[in-house]
Amino acid sequence: MTRRERAIRSARRGSVITAVALLGLVGVYIRALVYTPVERLQGLAQKIFYVHAPVAWAALLAFAVTGLLSLLYLITRDRKFDMVASSSAEVGVVFSIAMLTTGPLWGKPVWGTWWTWDARLTSTLFIFLLFVGYMVLRSAFNDFEIRARFSAVLGVMALVLVPFIHITVYWFRTLHPEPVLLKPDRPSLPGVMLTTLLISVAVFTALYIGFLMQSHALMVLRDIREEETVDANA
Amino acid sequence: MSSYQTLRVTLAVAAKDLLVEQRTKTAFFSSLVFAILVLTILYFARDATAVSDLDLAPGALWVTFSFAGMLGLNRAFLLERENRAMDGLRLSPASATGIFLGKVLGNMVFVGVVELVSLPLFILFYDVPIWRQVGLLLLVIFLATTGFVAVGTLFSAIVVRTRYSEVMLPVLLLPFLFPPIVAAVQLTRRIVAERPFDELTGWLSMLAAFVIIFFFLSLLLFEAILEE
Amino acid sequence: MPQPDSTLTLHGVSRRFGYRWAVRDVSLEVAHGEAVLLVGGNGAGKTTLLRVVSGLLRASKGRVERQGAVGMVAHHIMMYEALTARENLRFFGRLHGRSDGTRIDALLDRMGLLHVGDERIGTFSRGMLQRLAIARALLPEPRVLLLDEPLTGLDDSASHTVIDVLAELKQSGAGMMIASHQLVELVGSADRVGYMVSGRMAALEPCGDAGQVVQRYRELAAGE
Repeated sequence: MTRRERAIRSARRGSVITAVALLGLVGVYIRALVYTPVERLQGLAQKIFYVHAPVAWAALLAFAVTGLLSLLYLITRDRKFDMVASSSAEVGVVFSIAMLTTGPLWGKPVWGTWWTWDARLTSTLFIFLLFVGYMVLRSAFNDFEIRARFSAVLGVMALVLVPFIHITVYWFRTLHPEPVLLKPDRPSLPGVMLTTLLISVAVFTALYIGFLMQSHALMVLRDIREEETVDANA
Repeated sequence: MSSYQTLRVTLAVAAKDLLVEQRTKTAFFSSLVFAILVLTILYFARDATAVSDLDLAPGALWVTFSFAGMLGLNRAFLLERENRAMDGLRLSPASATGIFLGKVLGNMVFVGVVELVSLPLFILFYDVPIWRQVGLLLLVIFLATTGFVAVGTLFSAIVVRTRYSEVMLPVLLLPFLFPPIVAAVQLTRRIVAERPFDELTGWLSMLAAFVIIFFFLSLLLFEAILEE
Repeated sequence: MPQPDSTLTLHGVSRRFGYRWAVRDVSLEVAHGEAVLLVGGNGAGKTTLLRVVSGLLRASKGRVERQGAVGMVAHHIMMYEALTARENLRFFGRLHGRSDGTRIDALLDRMGLLHVGDERIGTFSRGMLQRLAIARALLPEPRVLLLDEPLTGLDDSASHTVIDVLAELKQSGAGMMIASHQLVELVGSADRVGYMVSGRMAALEPCGDAGQVVQRYRELAAGE
């Protein structure tokens, strides 16, 4: 099987996964609206939580994948890793935007404010900014080898940075520095809500994988085309 | 390459950068004037009845230092781009470690001098009673500057290879300045208020951890930037 | 390890930029005291080949073995305009661990730059910069010398100086690769000619006179 055929097959599989995940999303919403009880304090607005939290999870997953594959690229110098890392960043930008728009929509009715500088919010804002910086940097190079190497350096640096940002904001808010877990206590959810949330997390993970496969396949196809153009001119 | 040779390269590169800077002085005076302007503008960018000088001062100091420093960092590798001088360095047996440390040292001196000249102005402008605690403040300045110059040196070596390096550097670098600058502001606030030392240890250790981790990470990753 | 006979060995060196192969599968040995002249049109891969051989560029495939220090003259002078000629040489000398003042003065003198040694090179003419670049290349006492258009901007007498210096270096056993269009001046310094056609070394043959080299290059380029 040629590289092109493999890419096309992977794109098809990616779109099937995406379609299934989108159906799953409909399912999540039916479950959230019809079968999951309305939260007593937050009311209906809390329903957006079933999208917001999983979408934030997917953005974080994309970020971690980009960072780890950047590291792998620097070690192996295998272009495969760079291509998946950048596809993951591309998908990550989309999830970050979804995360940053659903957050305030939920926050306004519940907290009474669109935005608050809490550790998780601020960290996710930075993840979005780092994703954008990564994409901007990539667009600045023509040679794919330099592009891969330099953006991988940024990917690794960013991966180490985010925990620092999280701790910084957490300490800033609490004023008194003390040992911090990355997940501060959260009121535990009743079973039904938790199940809905977990289903939604699975759905968004599938959505991430589906997008990633398609974005990556597209990148491979673009690569093949450019290579053919150069060969034809040679 | 032995550590003696690395040290020799480090010193040669730093001395060369500072000699060039001393010849032209453009970057130094631009950064200094910029620092004074930022200090002045920030003083007026608040409601004087609601925010006291002392409340404003720590933030103003660090915004000034980081922005003025960033102006200077761009210069570090622009210099090597002219006539491809960096190729001359790479043709020599000088290691990436030596070149990186030399660049960091040169930038540290450059940013450090800008900071030391603007610090008395800051104390004067904002009427900060800092004299008894100045040693602690200098320690914080040293730590934060080291962290920011190490990361900034790495990124300026990256952006100098792009067409829009002046715009690209802040976009890449500012997220990395967030933890050390917030820590430095918190520490400066406590130092200015003459708080007891144990109120400093938390932020101080965070700042030190950031500096150590990112200094070595930048050093390791620099080799990947240098090759072609 | 026994001392190899060659200063420079290239094993199937290739280099790509993005998707384009600039140099393809070049293998070559340069003996002690031997000079290889690289001939080829624009974009034939001469500059890229020299940069890969110098170590400035990584080979995408294949490898390069070098014996001893490398001196290089390229399109760019690789020096700092705000510094004087002497300061530039001293800086690069330090990186090589050779910064003694008498050697730097001797090099400046040889290249006819001693009287301007303390002037900033930002004010130098193209020819002066080229001579300084050659002095810089000679600084580490190179055993491998890579010259990309070494005579650019040089007048007759400066060209002769450079050709004399090359002869001395060959005498002392340094191996060299020279890329140039100025065949008439340089064929005398070369032992062999490598003909570069679209990234490949189409032929590697003993050096004749300039006319023969041009004739042979046309044949090879037409055959491609």
